[in-house]
Amino acid sequence: MPIHKQTMRFSIYRFNPETDSSPQMQEYVLENVERGMMLRDALLRIKSIDESFSFRHSCGEGVCGSDALNINGRNGLACITPLAELSEPVEVRPLPGMPVIRDLVVDMSQFYHHYRAVKPYLIVHDPEPETEYLQTPQERDRLDGLYECILCGCCTTSCPSFWWNPDKFRGPAALLQAYRFLADSRDQATAERLEDLDGPYRMFRCHTIMNCVNVCPKGLNPSKAIHGIKKMMLKEMV
Amino acid sequence: MSGWRAHGMRAWLMQRLTAVYVALFFVSMLLLFVLHPFADYASWRQFMSMPVVNIATVFFFLGLIYHAWVGLRDVVIDYISQFTLRMITLMVVTLSLIALGIWAFMVLVTVVAL
Repeated sequence: MPIHKQTMRFSIYRFNPETDSSPQMQEYVLENVERGMMLRDALLRIKSIDESFSFRHSCGEGVCGSDALNINGRNGLACITPLAELSEPVEVRPLPGMPVIRDLVVDMSQFYHHYRAVKPYLIVHDPEPETEYLQTPQERDRLDGLYECILCGCCTTSCPSFWWNPDKFRGPAALLQAYRFLADSRDQATAERLEDLDGPYRMFRCHTIMNCVNVCPKGLNPSKAIHGIKKMMLKEMV
Repeated sequence: MSGWRAHGMRAWLMQRLTAVYVALFFVSMLLLFVLHPFADYASWRQFMSMPVVNIATVFFFLGLIYHAWVGLRDVVIDYISQFTLRMITLMVVTLSLIALGIWAFMVLVTVVAL
């Protein structure tokens, strides 16, 4: 499948709030594109040609979640997106629906606000035990598909419900994390967590559009997690 | 929990329950009208004045109106971002649905009364 390409064309979103009145797409052509190169490698090369260009990146292997971008119209991590799979010109834009700080760098404050709001940590009302908390293998299995989230923001920023109500709707990433703690056998704040998510906005803006599932670079399923929360709420109600 | 915040799970659940009832009622009425067409207005009226049918129809309209309210509320919340306009539209939608409900109820009461 990977085709050896010598040159490759890129169209990159550029915006510097200090000098530009509006954003624009800038064309770049890279020579000697090698087999197996990821988009992040290409962006680093562009950066070496044009040092005014900014983007976030860190680990380079899909673990830190820093380089989430909109690549040819689809959210993903630049470091694990092979150039060979992309059609030209490769259009790279910042994550949709987020305020742009500069070029591909967005302000993630709102995303983190929603993450913090779901209290992403174990809450225990009983006195602390002398030994560690124990879980059966089955209880531990319930956290699979939830704990792996790297908070890159691909899912939340591809969700129309988040674009429409970014200040009120928690978004798929935060809701997946909410369920990660609701599903945890050691957590004792189930009722409080569920009550906090009730109401027309925080969770129920989700209409199961499933863009989140479609783009998650870790292959997680926020829609399923949201369904899990609804099931728990229903049980709590009855 | 009360007020606006309560209309999350409850609205979501009721939308689903009313959907089932409205669909069952609609399909069974449709089947009935196709298999046993009423000869005239008087026989239709006699059928509709049967307490079971009349009450089932009242519930149908209640369910339909609540279902429509949740759906339209969701559309308004999603697509109208300006807060004042959102609230005014919600109010208009709610009042219109209530008016439709009262109208349907009045019709059904008149059928029974005669």
